Amino acid sequence: MANNYLIKGPVTQELINLVLSSMSEKTDSGGHSAFFGQVRADEANGKRVKAIEYSAYEEMVKPEADKICKSVLSEFSDVRSVEIVHSTGIVKTGEISLFVLVSAGHRLQAMQACSKTVELVKERFPVWKKEIMEDGSHEWR
Amino acid sequence: MEIKVLFFGVLTEVTGTCCKHYPASGSYRDLMLRIQDDYPEIVHYNFRVSVNNEIVNSEPVLNDGDEVALLPPFSGG
Repeated sequence: MANNYLIKGPVTQELINLVLSSMSEKTDSGGHSAFFGQVRADEANGKRVKAIEYSAYEEMVKPEADKICKSVLSEFSDVRSVEIVHSTGIVKTGEISLFVLVSAGHRLQAMQACSKTVELVKERFPVWKKEIMEDGSHEWR
Repeated sequence: MEIKVLFFGVLTEVTGTCCKHYPASGSYRDLMLRIQDDYPEIVHYNFRVSVNNEIVNSEPVLNDGDEVALLPPFSGG
């Protein structure tokens, strides 16, 4: 990973497994909630998306992600940890571009805080997507 | 005595580059006018501005070596 939050290419099964395997060490947590953002094969004007190319202001991602984690930990007192992994570069349809895992003492705050984290990532992560169409054209979103 | 200006997202296509250096002399408004002179199309795009990784909501005082980034609406996830 370029830093703790960005990965070049899709979020792989191996990386997800690595993060999930760390759950067993969090013995103070009773619930984990995960979100997987997947590249969707949208269609517009007869063109279908085949991949998304993500670009990021990498120097700004870490401070913003740190703020998100701090904000979520502050708002949800039962939350023990927040993990965020976002892709840069090309991610094909069906592949994962965002992975969020929140661990908490109990399920309710794990789920609420996971949802909140995803919303904050969408709102604050300095990342841009360029949809690559099957015909080779592209569209900034 | 330079300001480094970074372009992101669709603005990399509008400007044809990801960064450009400008003289540090002059105000924030002067810098924005210089950018508009160089890339007139940029006025048609919505973006926020950060200085040294912090988004600014008013016109900041710029100093030599500052990094100014033009940030179109984020679209991660």
